[in-house]
Amino acid sequence: MASVVIDNVRKAFGQVEVIKGVSLDIAEGEFVALVGPSGCGKSTLLRMIAGLEAVSDGEIRIGDRVVNDIEPKDRDVAMVFQSYALYPHMTVAENLSFALRLKKTARDKVDSRVDHAARMLGLADLLQRLPRQLSGGQRQRVAMGRALVRNPQVFLFDEPLSNLDAKLRVQMRAEIKKLHQSLKVTTVYVTHDQMEAMTLADRVVVLQGGVIEQAGRPLDLYDRPANAFVAGFIGSPAMNLLSGRISADGADFEFSPQTKLSLPEPLRPFAGRPVTLGVRPEHLNVAKDAKGAPAKALVIEPTGAETHAVLDLGGRELTTVFRERIPIAPGEIVAMSIAPGAVHLFDPASGQRI
Amino acid sequence: MAASLTPRKALNTALLTLGYALLGAFVLFPIYWIFTMSLKEFGDIIAYPPRFSFVPTFENYREVLFGNEADQAGGVMPDLLRFLRNSVIISSGAVLLSVILGLPAAYALARGEAKRANRARFTILSFRFAPELAIILPLYAFYTRTGLYDSYVGMILVHQLITLPLMILILMSFIRDIPIEIEEAARIDGAGPLTILLQIIVPIAKPGLASAMIIAFIFSWNNLIFGLVLAGGETRPITMGILQAMTFDQIKWGLMAAAAMVSAVPGMIASILFQRQITRGLTLGAVK
Ligand SMILES: Nc1ncnc2c1ncn2[C@@H]1O[C@H](COP(=O)(O)OP(=O)(O)OP(=O)(O)O)[C@@H](O)[C@H]1O
Ligand SMILES: [Mg+2]
Repeated sequence: MASVVIDNVRKAFGQVEVIKGVSLDIAEGEFVALVGPSGCGKSTLLRMIAGLEAVSDGEIRIGDRVVNDIEPKDRDVAMVFQSYALYPHMTVAENLSFALRLKKTARDKVDSRVDHAARMLGLADLLQRLPRQLSGGQRQRVAMGRALVRNPQVFLFDEPLSNLDAKLRVQMRAEIKKLHQSLKVTTVYVTHDQMEAMTLADRVVVLQGGVIEQAGRPLDLYDRPANAFVAGFIGSPAMNLLSGRISADGADFEFSPQTKLSLPEPLRPFAGRPVTLGVRPEHLNVAKDAKGAPAKALVIEPTGAETHAVLDLGGRELTTVFRERIPIAPGEIVAMSIAPGAVHLFDPASGQRI
Repeated sequence: MAASLTPRKALNTALLTLGYALLGAFVLFPIYWIFTMSLKEFGDIIAYPPRFSFVPTFENYREVLFGNEADQAGGVMPDLLRFLRNSVIISSGAVLLSVILGLPAAYALARGEAKRANRARFTILSFRFAPELAIILPLYAFYTRTGLYDSYVGMILVHQLITLPLMILILMSFIRDIPIEIEEAARIDGAGPLTILLQIIVPIAKPGLASAMIIAFIFSWNNLIFGLVLAGGETRPITMGILQAMTFDQIKWGLMAAAAMVSAVPGMIASILFQRQITRGLTLGAVK
């Protein structure tokens, strides 16, 4: 186990800079998830830690060693690829033992490590199969096993679950979490699925356009997003982000002179100021006969545990989620209000939280 | 009715079959012609109009392979077995050397920067554009001066002009099909470049290596001009052996046909046994 320090790292492909100065301290044994939209540089950052991509500027340290110029094979990291990248001509056992054999590990030690990993991942009966004779989920396990057997300083995962179906993904997610809890190996996990990041990680790092938007514990990111981007990215369904202004008396949020949504508590310091208002769907209450802004139901999506609804308020679409059984039909007008203490405000120009 | 073909479909099938038949005849007729010629006596061969029914004889084969006691003085053909051995040595040697040289080259080009690789590929291809006749005279001068003339080493080296480009181009395309992540996984697992080449790339690209070797072997085997100019009595390949049937005063058609049949055997066996690999190797890039 080792810490990983990323110190003002930059990466350019030719003229294009894709990582624009990222700094991140990952503690020993910590599980960090990198999330962000496609093309934000998650994989590139991970590949730099692995040594598959050269660092253009800045420093990466694993333990107390600067690894910028150290070959991947000498970094003592293990990586699980999205495509699994199993060796197609080797059996499962050979795939698992490849790294150990290269290190000329004693035969019985190789066998016992392979055996141990295989049992941990439920691969014991598949050891003599070739990768092409395995299902997607089994291949994924072999890829994990190949990393496990190594007993490395750092685990690197690049969207390891995105080729699995939804059910298997949830199951493997739990297994990865269990593995980390028992092995406590420093882990960097790349995903574009914020749910995966939130459920797995000790700390979530949101990347966009090659810079860190925010890094923090999952619930901190959820409860206090540092900016409108993180607010919209973390959480599903996404937070409602509405541009408008706080009314002159600070009591309402005005979309336009005609449409208002009253605030749960008055925001006098911001009176008259243009803002971006953020409200999570579960904090947007709807009721059939209550006080509130009249919103028209557009789409109702019952999922069982909760119901998602898209409503129209003064020409803006807002999403709400509720667990009660409220019988609303599309086209119906309902009263909408914001739950107390649930308002996020962002500067409309910079997007920063205010 | 099971075979309820519409007239249109039936017509299509018929036309297609006819097309295949014509194509087949076009390819196979010369082989048939030579084969029957090799079984004919001299009289049957020169008969006009050509005779399609005749009494087959193996005399020609006996003579090209084991010589003709009655004709020791002009005994031109008993050497065919030696020519055959020469061809085996030259073509196998050429293919082997091409594997040793071409495999790392193909790997480097396949994984290198695309623009540079394409330039290199064009250069390599251009070796195949140049007619061998254009370079054979300077090569002859060079070979006689360096002692490469009429040596196996010399023949194997000059055959690299045929086998090496084939090897590099075919392998390059096979290696490009191997996902780079597999190599990256190996790099992280602790493998260096040579280990990756030998333990990852070669085993995965084995079918490609096989087809490249077979195709290169056949092309090398069929070459005439290098043997004609650069090989002497010691290293003459089988294609030269066929020409031995031409003497001052006559062309021994029957012997020539028999020798041609013998020389074609390895190619035919290879194409039947390795049909799949050969098609894959020759149609690279055509369908993906
Ligand atoms: N080898 C390369 N050459 C040039 N540009 C590259 C290269 N690799 C990545 N990029 C660019 O760098 C940016 C970041 O790519 P990266 O693969 O890190 O994104 P990502 O966050 O992993 O996205 P995804 O979720 O789609 O996997 C992208 O704009 C990509 O086009
Ligand atoms: Mg990626």
